[in-house]
Amino acid sequence: MKQAIQANRITFQYEPQEGKVAVPVLEDLSLSIEEGSFVAVLGHNGCGKSTLAKHFNAILLPQGGSICVYGMDTADEEKLIDIRRTVGMVFQNPDNQIVANVVEEDVAFAPENLGILPPEIRQRVDDALKQVGMYEFREHAPHLLSGGQKQRIAIAGVIAMRPKCIVLDEPTAMLDPQGRQEVLSTVKRLCRESGITVVLITHHMMEAAQADRILVMVKGTVIADGTPRQVFSQPELLQSVGLSVPQTTQLLYALNQAGCKLPLEALSVEECADALYHYFSNSSSGGSNLGTTT
Amino acid sequence: MLKDITLGQYFPGDTIVHRLDPRTKLILVCVYIVALFCAKSYVSYAVVAAFLVLSMWLSTIRLSVIVKGLKPLLIIIVLTGLLNLFYTEGTPIWSFWIFTITREGIRNAFFMISRIIMLIFGTFLLTYTTSPIALTDAMELLLNPLKKIKVPVHELSMMMCIALRFIPTLISETDKIISAQKARGADFESGNLMRRAKALIPILVPLFISAFRRADELAVAMESRCYHGGKGRTRMKQLHMHSRDYVALAVGIVLLAGVIVLRSFGL
Repeated sequence: MKQAIQANRITFQYEPQEGKVAVPVLEDLSLSIEEGSFVAVLGHNGCGKSTLAKHFNAILLPQGGSICVYGMDTADEEKLIDIRRTVGMVFQNPDNQIVANVVEEDVAFAPENLGILPPEIRQRVDDALKQVGMYEFREHAPHLLSGGQKQRIAIAGVIAMRPKCIVLDEPTAMLDPQGRQEVLSTVKRLCRESGITVVLITHHMMEAAQADRILVMVKGTVIADGTPRQVFSQPELLQSVGLSVPQTTQLLYALNQAGCKLPLEALSVEECADALYHYFSNSSSGGSNLGTTT
Repeated sequence: MLKDITLGQYFPGDTIVHRLDPRTKLILVCVYIVALFCAKSYVSYAVVAAFLVLSMWLSTIRLSVIVKGLKPLLIIIVLTGLLNLFYTEGTPIWSFWIFTITREGIRNAFFMISRIIMLIFGTFLLTYTTSPIALTDAMELLLNPLKKIKVPVHELSMMMCIALRFIPTLISETDKIISAQKARGADFESGNLMRRAKALIPILVPLFISAFRRADELAVAMESRCYHGGKGRTRMKQLHMHSRDYVALAVGIVLLAGVIVLRSFGL
C-alpha cells in the first residue's frame, strides 16, 4: 500500500505568551497513514491532535522533522496549492467555514480558487452535493440549515476540490446526535465508495470505533496505534491517560476482572451480547438466562 | 427581537427585471439617479416617474412592500419638506408670525419630497430584484478597470460577500448574548439614554471577541480551500449580457438624454 501521509519525527510548539515557558505541542511524532484507509486520531483536549491535523495540509509547518503528503514535502512553498487541493480539511464549527450565502456558491468556492473552468465547476459542485446528499438544498441559505446539514455542506465544499484525503478536525463536536450520525455516515461512505483517505480527529470513543485504525495521542505523542479492537482491548492503558473505553468493552473488562474469560474485542452492542451469550451458555446452565437478556 | 432586521432584502422572482444582468441594473440605477437630479420641471419629473412606474410594474413587486421600506426615512422626508416649504424666498401667499409660505416654497418642497421618494423607490427596486451575491459580482466586474490603479476590487467584493454571509450568524449570536446577559440580571430597557448606551457594552464586547475568533477560523478554512486572492480565480456563474440588457440600457440612455434636453429648453 502507498502511504498518503508520512510524518517523520516532527516537533512543534506555539509562540509562548509573554512571561510563560513554551510547551511543546508535538514531540518527536512519527506516523504514516495508508492511502484509502479510515484513521481516527483519538485524544483529550490539548493533546495536540488539532495541531497535528493542521500540519497535514501545511497550515502549520513542523519546526523539526518533516511531513510528506502524497510525495510532497509540506515545507515546499511552491507545492502549497497542490498540497491543499490533495488534502482537504473540515473544521469543528460549520458556521465559520462557510463563505457564501448560497449553498452551491459556497461549494463552488474551492474550485473557483483553483481556476477551474465554469462548466467543470458546475459539474463538480453537483457531484459533491449529491455525494453528501444535499443536492436538493443547493439554492438554500446556509444559515437556515441544521448543524449536521451545514457540516455536510462544508464536506461538499472540500470534496469539490477532488482531494485524495480529507482531514476532519472534530467535525461532530458541535452537533446533536442526529447530525453527528449524518456526518459520520457521509464520511464513511466517502472512504468506502470513493476511496478517499479519511483522517478523523475526535474525542468520541464510539466515533473512533468505526474507523479502520485508531491512533491514541497523549501530550503530543502517539501512545497506541492499531485497529479499534486492538486499541480498546487495552483498557488499562486508555484509562491511565484519562480516556474511557466504549461501554461494551468496559462491561467485558469488568467481568474479566471478576474472573470470567471473555474476549475484549467485542465492540458493538450485538457483538458484546453474542460474546456474553456464548460464554454463559458454554459455562453453566444457570448463566444462559443472563446471556439472552443482555 | 433582532430577527426582524432585513438588510438588502431580496424577493426571488422570474420577471424581466429579475432576469436582467445585475450589471445592467446597477448602471440603470446610476443613470436613473443622475436623471433624477437633472430633472427641474414637472414635465421631466413626470418622465422619470414614468420610467420608475414602468420598472415597478414589470418587476411585479407590490407597492405596499416598497412603501413599507419608506417608514424609517419618514422623518427625513417630512423635515426636508417643511424646511423647503418655509425657507424658500419668493412670492408669499400665506404668512403667520415668522412663518411664510411662498409659491416657490411649495414647488421646491414638492420637488424635494418626490425626488427623495423616487430615489428610495429606485434603489429598493434594485435590491428587491437582485440577489446580494449577484450585486457583489456585478460591482466587482464593473469596477474591474480600477484594478489598474491598484484599487483592491476583488478584496472589496469578497469582503462584502462575507459580510452579507455573516449578518444572520452575528444577529443570532447577538440575540444569544442578550439573553445570556439578561439571565444574569443585565437591564437593557430602563434608564436614560446614557445608561442604556452603557448597558450595550456587555453585549458588544463578547460579540466583538467572537467575531474576531470567527474571522480567524474562517481565514484558516478559506486557506485550506486554496484561497490565494483574486489571481487566477474563475467563477461558476458567468454573467452574460442578453439583448434585453442592451434594450434596457438604451431605454436608460434615452431617459437621461430626454431629461437633459428638457432641461436645456428650460423645462
